[in-house]
Amino acid sequence: MSKQSTLERRRAARLTAERAAAARDLRTRRLWRLAASLAAAAVVVAGAIAVSGGGGGAKAPAPATTSSLLAGIPERGGLLGDPDAPLTVTEYVDLQCPVCARTAATIVPALIRGQVRAGEVKLAVRTLHFIGPDSERAARVAAGAERQGRLWPFLEAFYARQGAENSGYVTDGFLREVARAADVDAGRALAEADSAFATRRLERANADASRLGVRGTPTLTVQRGDGPERMLSASPLDPAAVAAELDREAAR
Amino acid sequence: MRAASIGVALAGLGIAGYLTAVHYAGGTPVCAIAHGCATVQHSRYAALAGVPVALLGLAGYVAILAALARDGESGRTAAAFLSLAGLGFSGWLTYVEVGVLHAICVWCVGSAVCMALLAALTIRRMLVPPVRA
Repeated sequence: MSKQSTLERRRAARLTAERAAAARDLRTRRLWRLAASLAAAAVVVAGAIAVSGGGGGAKAPAPATTSSLLAGIPERGGLLGDPDAPLTVTEYVDLQCPVCARTAATIVPALIRGQVRAGEVKLAVRTLHFIGPDSERAARVAAGAERQGRLWPFLEAFYARQGAENSGYVTDGFLREVARAADVDAGRALAEADSAFATRRLERANADASRLGVRGTPTLTVQRGDGPERMLSASPLDPAAVAAELDREAAR
Repeated sequence: MRAASIGVALAGLGIAGYLTAVHYAGGTPVCAIAHGCATVQHSRYAALAGVPVALLGLAGYVAILAALARDGESGRTAAAFLSLAGLGFSGWLTYVEVGVLHAICVWCVGSAVCMALLAALTIRRMLVPPVRA
């Protein structure tokens, strides 16, 4: 082998080694950059999560008693409004659901002031209890309020005081306060929570939701007379759209 | 891989753009799952320090596309960082949908899937050995 070819081979080997070292270097630098990116992303996400959902601030103090919204409107068997109203609008809720509290302050009052007072619509509610044990306790005592013909005032008072989901705030003391604000006999309502009637109310809500394919709360349905119940296509957060859809249903 | 990342980022940009447009138009997104999108969009989690989350997503996808436009080391690193941050926040929002709001917004899930794909692709770009001419 000539001296020339030996030198060339050594040069090639050196170049290969240099390239391999440079590639290792680059790979190491990239791994460090990736680790730094991951750490920085974790910090950014943690900050965003800390801010997310926290913009609401403190809730306004709950009113001492229920509003005049429901004054003079009959309630029988949990149905609010004229029993002969041609349309029944049913709201599927979980009393712990914060969006349900929102609809209770927007769409429900709009319906009550409009179609319910006009005798065109009566309202029903199905209290689901999938969020947690507090949901079931609340739904059972709501059934106790229904026995006293005060379900809707109870719902209104409950939503006004709604706490953080599954934080254990639905204590007997809390429920007594809600009952007092809704002019419900708290002792009787709490005693009713363990009754067969309350169990039937929960079972009915589950069965109806399952039959209709309700996948979230709140969900609104409409039923003409004894006809089939169907989900509204309008968003339960859009009072104007709901009113328009109910007007179309009423005109059919 | 870069071309695939750009394609996924453009899909995410479309989703975020649609949600931003719906937000500012005051409407509700077309949603296949009973009112899930409206529930999520009107929840207190739909804004971050007063800025709509949809708009933040839009800005995120624009930034990722800008990072992908540069094929250098800084571009790769920036794209990986942005995708990882986007994936983390999308994961949090998906948890909120399922665990807190009990409502699914298909558009938000679509965006989360885009972010997951982008994170995988941009990490892969960081890990592949450099190609020598």
